[in-house]
Order: sequence, then C-alpha cells, then structure tokens
Amino acid sequence: MARLTQDKSDYAIALVLRYGSLISTLVMTLGLGLMLLRGPAVSLPADHRVRLSLLFPMLLRMDPAAVIEFGVLLLLLTPLFRILVAVVSFSLERDLKYVLISLGVLATVLLSISFAIEG
Amino acid sequence: MHPLSTQLIELGTLGLFAGVVGALTGIGGGLIITPVLTLVLGVPIHQAIGTSLCCVIATSSGAAASYVEHHLANIRLGMTLELATTVGAVAGALVAAKLPRDVLGVLFAVLLTYAGGMMVRRSLHAEKTQSDDVANYAIKHLPVGLFGSGVAGVVSGLLGIGGGPIKVPLMYLVMGIPFKVATATSNFMIGVTACASAFIYYARGDVRLLISAPTAIGVFVGASLGTPVMRRAPSRWLVMLFSIIMFYFALMMIWKSAHGGFAR
Repeated sequence: MARLTQDKSDYAIALVLRYGSLISTLVMTLGLGLMLLRGPAVSLPADHRVRLSLLFPMLLRMDPAAVIEFGVLLLLLTPLFRILVAVVSFSLERDLKYVLISLGVLATVLLSISFAIEG
Repeated sequence: MHPLSTQLIELGTLGLFAGVVGALTGIGGGLIITPVLTLVLGVPIHQAIGTSLCCVIATSSGAAASYVEHHLANIRLGMTLELATTVGAVAGALVAAKLPRDVLGVLFAVLLTYAGGMMVRRSLHAEKTQSDDVANYAIKHLPVGLFGSGVAGVVSGLLGIGGGPIKVPLMYLVMGIPFKVATATSNFMIGVTACASAFIYYARGDVRLLISAPTAIGVFVGASLGTPVMRRAPSRWLVMLFSIIMFYFALMMIWKSAHGGFAR
C-alpha cells in the first residue's frame, strides 16, 4: 500500500515538473510572438517588482510584455508547485516528518518570492 | 533584420545549443550560458546569472520528471537536503547582489575550472560508477550532507548554476548514495534551489524578460531534443572537448575581470 501511494505521488510530482516547464515555454513563446507582431513597446513598469493587480488586467488585453512576464513567472514557480504537491502527498501518506520538512522548504521559497511579487 | 528578432534568434540559438550539450554531456546549462552571454553577447554578469537560473529551472524540470517516474530520485532525501540548499541559495543571491561584477567573474572562472576537472575525472572513471544497487542503500553522514548542500546552495545562488558538480560527489562519496540515485536526486533538487534565488535576482531587475525568455525557450527545446540520446553514456571525446571549452571560458573570464572588461 505504501508503495502504491508513493507511486501515485511520484507520478503527480513528475506531471507538475513536465507540464510546468512545457506550459511556461508555450506562454513565453506566445508573448515573444505577439511582441514581434506588434513591436517592442514595453508597457510594464520598469522597477521589476511584479504587481499582480497590474499584470492580470494587462494579460486579459494580451499585452505582449505581460504575457512574457507571466510565462517567466510560471517557469520560476514550477518548483513551488512541485513542493506543494509533495506537501499534499506526504500528508496523504501521514508522514508527519516529511510534511514538516516540505513546509520548511516551502517557507524559504515563499520568503524569496516575497521579495519579487506583490498583490 | 529587425533588431529584436536578431536578439531573439541569437539567444534562442544559444539556449538550444546549451540545452543539447547539457543533455548530451551532463554539463549544467548555466556553465555554458553565463560565459557566452557575458563574453560574447556583452550581457552584464548579474543579468547573465539571472537568465541562467531561469534556464536551469527549464532544463531540470524535464529531466527530473523522468528520474522521478523511474523512481531513481530519492524524493525524501532530496526534500531534506533542499532545506539546506534553499537557505544557502537565498543567502548566495543576496551576497551576489553586493559583489562587484569582476569578483563574480573570477568566482565563475574558478567554478568552471572545478566543474571541467570533475568532468574529465568522471569520464576517466566512468565504468566504476554504473554498477551500484540503486534500491538498497543506507544514507550515511546526513549532517555533513546538509552542510555540503548548504554550500552548494550558496554557490548556486551566487553563480546561477544547479550545483550538480558539488552535490553529486557529496552524495556519492560522502553519503554512500549510489551514483545514479545521486545524479537523479541532485537533478530533482536543482529546480527548487534555483527558484529560491531566482526571485531575488528578479526583484533586482536581473531577470530581463527579453533575454531570459528566448534563452529559456531555446534551452527547453534543446534539452527535449537531447534527452532521448542521453541514456547512452556521453562519448569521452565529447566530454573532453567541452571541458577544454570550459577551461578556455575560465581563462577568458579571469582575463576580462583583470581588465575590468565586463559590461555594466
């Protein structure tokens, strides 16, 4: 039984890793394509903090720079999704020690993200 | 040609090349991308490292996925060591921000020399490492492993590489992990370690969208093309050739640092 749940969580983690980088690559390619079509007018604020409240409305308008930024963020966040999957699967296995270890890793990565992203 | 499309083609080609070479030889893409960006394309070294971190995530995810599917990566060990690599990676990235570009250049040259030397050594001793039992092994010296992983994390955050050249020998030689499991587990850890420092580079404006995105796309495609052939051991000549290129890059980076030639 333990083997079976481990197989399942391995599968879920592999899925996140594989599709996270694939999807973010496609989004970045779409953004670069749009920028080539419409010209390289950069429309995002240049102070390098991501403001989600600005990013999402621009995404809806398919602003090229916003689409590229979203793709880069998805790429950088793929490892974060992988940690979240690990937390969930260790919880399902009731493996408290590794739930705590994964939460520790998660906390460090979230601290790093807080430098760059605001709501 | 439009200057933007020229830039995208140059960076995409660089990424493609680094992705294929990385998959064929096991060199982390960052060891190729950062020298080419700084020495050939004139990108400031902090931005080159920021780009390299994006590429490290793009390549490691695909490779790590197949290691996890084949149950080669030890996820519990990987998560435990990540406690140390991520803290190291945050610290390394914060320190890198304060370091002058010439100092970073010299540090990178030292890393290139070390990684090139490790590759030569590994290709000369390739036969010994393949026959271990990958299912039954005991983990030894965990505290040393945690400390070494912290160091690998600092180096990763400072120089934008995955840290494989440090973690694999650490796990294999010190912790008693079979070589294949050590490689797979190291690869599994790379993405999270890079993620922990990438956002600090991002916040400082060192992840430039028009540099990082095309390079990362190229690396992803290159690694996907190279991975099917990866199962064969890399040819010794190919490994030797690329170690020589790495030694050459190291010399160039030291020369540039000494002459203050890095782009601002």
